Amino acid sequence: MTDERLDRILAGEETLIPSSGFTAAVMGRVREEAAAPAPIPFPWKRILPGIVLGGAGLVWGAVELTRLAIAAARDPQSVALPVWASAMPSMESLEWVALALAVSATSWLVTRRIGGESNLL
Amino acid sequence: MPSPNASNAAEDLADVERVLAGDPAAFEGIVRRWQGPLVNMAWRYCRDRARAEEMAQEAFVRAWRNLAQWRRESSFSTWLFAVAANVFRNELKRIPAVSLPLEEIAEPASPASQSAEFELRSRHESVRRAVLALPMPYREPVLLFYFHEMDVGAAARTMGLPEGTVKARLSRARELLRKRFPRLSEEYIAMESAASN
Repeated sequence: MTDERLDRILAGEETLIPSSGFTAAVMGRVREEAAAPAPIPFPWKRILPGIVLGGAGLVWGAVELTRLAIAAARDPQSVALPVWASAMPSMESLEWVALALAVSATSWLVTRRIGGESNLL
Repeated sequence: MPSPNASNAAEDLADVERVLAGDPAAFEGIVRRWQGPLVNMAWRYCRDRARAEEMAQEAFVRAWRNLAQWRRESSFSTWLFAVAANVFRNELKRIPAVSLPLEEIAEPASPASQSAEFELRSRHESVRRAVLALPMPYREPVLLFYFHEMDVGAAARTMGLPEGTVKARLSRARELLRKRFPRLSEEYIAMESAASN
């Protein structure tokens, strides 16, 4: 089959006429879209402080760990655990439960507040 | 096929401005002008009339949503076709138009009972359907090249590819089709003349 023949076959397509209700169907969907409320913007302003704080915490943790690792590599005997790390194992199990509950409650309250203000809840 | 192109550019622009100013009804003008080309373009992608209308409708809705993203550097039609091609491509990734590989599409035999014209039409349809079985990188350049009345530049703009790439893919696609339909060249002339008599 030559290119010319192929061209004639593929270019000689019959023209389709859209059905009579096509424009109305499209405009129906467009009107629906136009009437729908605008999407709720992501609450960046609210979230940003948390992201910055979390990021700073991660960086601080990474720096601390690196510092400890370097010190441990130099002299394993001289490494003093940071206060928070040494305090952790001595905590009673009740304190752990209380901490977990407090974190959960805070997270729940924050979610309610954000959701309530954006009329989601 | 994309005929309203040049003459309606001003109307397209005016309608877009009105829609962006908050008048959704102005979009109807755009739909009326471009429904034919978009339905025919979709038809080439799927060769199923009902599905072609659904896909064209989806393309219009997508264009409506993203109307503000049309930068006036290119014509409205170029932008609209690019949006539509994107919608059709994704839609066919989701549900392919044909499930048969190219090698398994039968080249029609020449039964004596069929009239020459019917036989010719049947062969043409087989070739057009075989285009849908081409691998995607070759299929779309073929579909859009013939949709744009054999304008490589227009096909390239719709796909967002360089013209050289489209030409190379077209050439490879033709090669694949020629291999698949070797008998067509031998019998074509005879049947064409019989059909015209």
